[in-house]
Amino acid sequence: MRTLIRTNEFTLAVIAALGFAALAVATDFNLLTAGTLDAFLRFLALPIVIGLAQMVVLAVGQMNLSVGVLTGFCAVASGWLMVDAGLPAPVAVLAALALGAAVGLVNGLLVIFTRINGFIVTLATMTILEGLRYGVNGTGTYQGYSPGLREFGQASLAGVPVVFLLAVVIAVAVALFFRRTVPGRHLLASGGNPFAARLSGISNDRALVLAHTLSGLLAGFAAVIVVAAFGSVNASIGDDLLLPSFAAPIIGGVALAGGMISVTGTVLAAFLVRLVDVSQSQFDINRRWVDLIIGAVVLGAVLLGQFREKLSGGRR
Amino acid sequence: MSVVLSAEKLVKTFPGVRALDEATLTLTAGSVHALLGENGAGKSTLIKILTGVYRPDGGQLRLPGTDGQPRTVQLGNPQDAQRAGIGVVHQERNLIPAFSVAENICLQHLPRRAGLLDRAALRAEARRCLDLLDLDLDPDLPVSRLSVAQMQLVEIAKALSADSTVLLLDEPTASLTNDEADRLYGIVRRLSERGHATVLVSHKLEEVFAVADTVTVLRDGRSVAEAEPLAEHSREEIVDLMVGRAYQQVHLAARTVAADVQPALALDHVATGAGHHDVTLDVHPGEIVGLYGLVGAGRSELAKALLGLDRITAGEVRVHGRPARIRDVGDALHRYRIGYVTENRKEEGLFLDQTVARNTAVTVWRRLARLGLVRDRTERGLVDEYADRLGIRLASPDQQAGQLSGGNQQKVSLAKWLAADCDVLIIDEPTVGIDVRTKAAFHELIAGLAARGMAILLISSDLPEMVTLADRIAVMREFAIVGELDNDHDYHRMSQSVIRFIHDGQGVVA
Repeated sequence: MRTLIRTNEFTLAVIAALGFAALAVATDFNLLTAGTLDAFLRFLALPIVIGLAQMVVLAVGQMNLSVGVLTGFCAVASGWLMVDAGLPAPVAVLAALALGAAVGLVNGLLVIFTRINGFIVTLATMTILEGLRYGVNGTGTYQGYSPGLREFGQASLAGVPVVFLLAVVIAVAVALFFRRTVPGRHLLASGGNPFAARLSGISNDRALVLAHTLSGLLAGFAAVIVVAAFGSVNASIGDDLLLPSFAAPIIGGVALAGGMISVTGTVLAAFLVRLVDVSQSQFDINRRWVDLIIGAVVLGAVLLGQFREKLSGGRR
Repeated sequence: MSVVLSAEKLVKTFPGVRALDEATLTLTAGSVHALLGENGAGKSTLIKILTGVYRPDGGQLRLPGTDGQPRTVQLGNPQDAQRAGIGVVHQERNLIPAFSVAENICLQHLPRRAGLLDRAALRAEARRCLDLLDLDLDPDLPVSRLSVAQMQLVEIAKALSADSTVLLLDEPTASLTNDEADRLYGIVRRLSERGHATVLVSHKLEEVFAVADTVTVLRDGRSVAEAEPLAEHSREEIVDLMVGRAYQQVHLAARTVAADVQPALALDHVATGAGHHDVTLDVHPGEIVGLYGLVGAGRSELAKALLGLDRITAGEVRVHGRPARIRDVGDALHRYRIGYVTENRKEEGLFLDQTVARNTAVTVWRRLARLGLVRDRTERGLVDEYADRLGIRLASPDQQAGQLSGGNQQKVSLAKWLAADCDVLIIDEPTVGIDVRTKAAFHELIAGLAARGMAILLISSDLPEMVTLADRIAVMREFAIVGELDNDHDYHRMSQSVIRFIHDGQGVVA
């Protein structure tokens, strides 16, 4: 019990609960009405999945700057497939996932074959994807596609939005992957100490490629959520996802150096960021202030992480 | 002789541990003072207090003031210690590879003129420090181009750069060869002739007896011998003081080497991408073959080439008689059952942030997995088994590896290879930085593994360890085997032969 209280996740859960309660009171319990609560959770799905997409690369000590733009790219691609190419929704969904994974795979392969830092590689692919998205598609908007998919985006199960449930299922799968599967543990071992991993018979290259591919796949899932829940797709989607993608794992206690992750922390942090977002719309706060707040919290979380490190590692 | 530093009744408590319990240390000018004790006896804590890293909870530090009278001082941080004339060379390297020798030496107080670096003064100051050590080294050379031994000497020059009167050396020869160590101690002796006081922390008692004049022995945070002349003690007495009970000579398991079966590991005129040439060596099941040599002779490099981390460019490697093509560590481990216990357990052997369970099972996750999933319970069961067999002291399998003591860490780094069922084990410097008692336990353990039929290639720079453990000793020099000796366990004779091999490239005919 004592150890539970001392965890980062517990602190986050308490802050999230308090924040939620405070916001509920401040909005005269408007937050708790079915409609508001539904919107709150529906738009929480995207930050959760995008945060996880960043987390899997952080696990091996890498970063993926292209997650946000890749999400938008996959979303636009599936919109194009449905509206312009006239393909059925399931095909478009699978295509979005495959496209995300493929771009992730390319990121990973570029990192291991060029030995260029993943930060630079994904900065480049981000820029390329951005160009492609506007160049191929322009500024047009895809809408009026598959009613089934849009219904899925708006559907609820026992009062809980289905897309949010999907995000939770994805989070559980990611957690299970890292906790229980051999490749997941290899990723953490490689991120924690690549030298020891290599000497234990683990391929660091394989871990890097797998992490980037998974990150791309998760960006694909994020795209599917966007397409389903937003009801329309345009080329600007994903531009503002880069900061949230880092905010969730970093506030959630994931080590930037690799080797240590927290799915629960990432999900809770995404929840917190969403709270800030909702407060903004509820109280008509300038959007810029929200970015300032989230940016400051990210910085604070990193500092807190270092402080924790010192406390636990300072003694020998 | 005048006292240049006295630490009186120092107390330092950490949550749950009293690391120092009224420890006392007195240094006189011109002496080489050995600070001995097992791991956990409080040596590091004492050093950290003397260098301003920790503040003591009790007791006091006294240094002579300008008038020569002792004064109580507070060392709030490492800069204070430097200003007080206490220089330290830590066990780990603290040099910046890309910087020049001069820049590294003067790093803490770079000479400035008009806000810019004064290169002439920098070089002059570096020269002065290097001269103190009679060291002929180009101050403009980047440190990355130096040998390990030269780096160690630069560290000492750096420690002296602040006009230090007290020099603390923490395991200064851990990565040096005997020759290099001799040279270093020659320098230490010259410094003491010039009035410097040196504190020497070392696990190598031979060295301590050869160099030091006085000794303080710490046990459980207390000084059990205080600044006593070393000449009045025998090696056995010192060890008794350290371990606090009569030290017993290790009795190793009796073994029979099955020389008539195929060698478990055989190298036949092997050359590698690292530069080895014509290496022929075999290890039979149940046998411990020592690979001795100077640091930089290519021993660890040979081990890494065998694991597929470097190319084998000529010759043949055979495992149990069959030619082996080992592409990577995974291959070595899963196909040929060869394991490698690295000499750098913190950097290469362990995942310090992860649990002992993960550290032990990392090599066998594939085997433990059911339907692709590894259960924590299976993993913990594995740890319990090896903690038992190797005598690893654990609070729980979920304890972080980084929290264990050095000896226990080394055992965990060994456990993963035993878990993987290796039958050839390459063990690299298994007892560096490990205290006397744990060292003996380790020797028993290694001999026990061989007794159960494991083939062991032991890489060590610790000659007594070699003579204790090995059945045969192969000597490597400049990436080639220059000789092989049957070990008759007579330390004097063996060391003579081995050292002759190293220096002349040929030994006495046994």
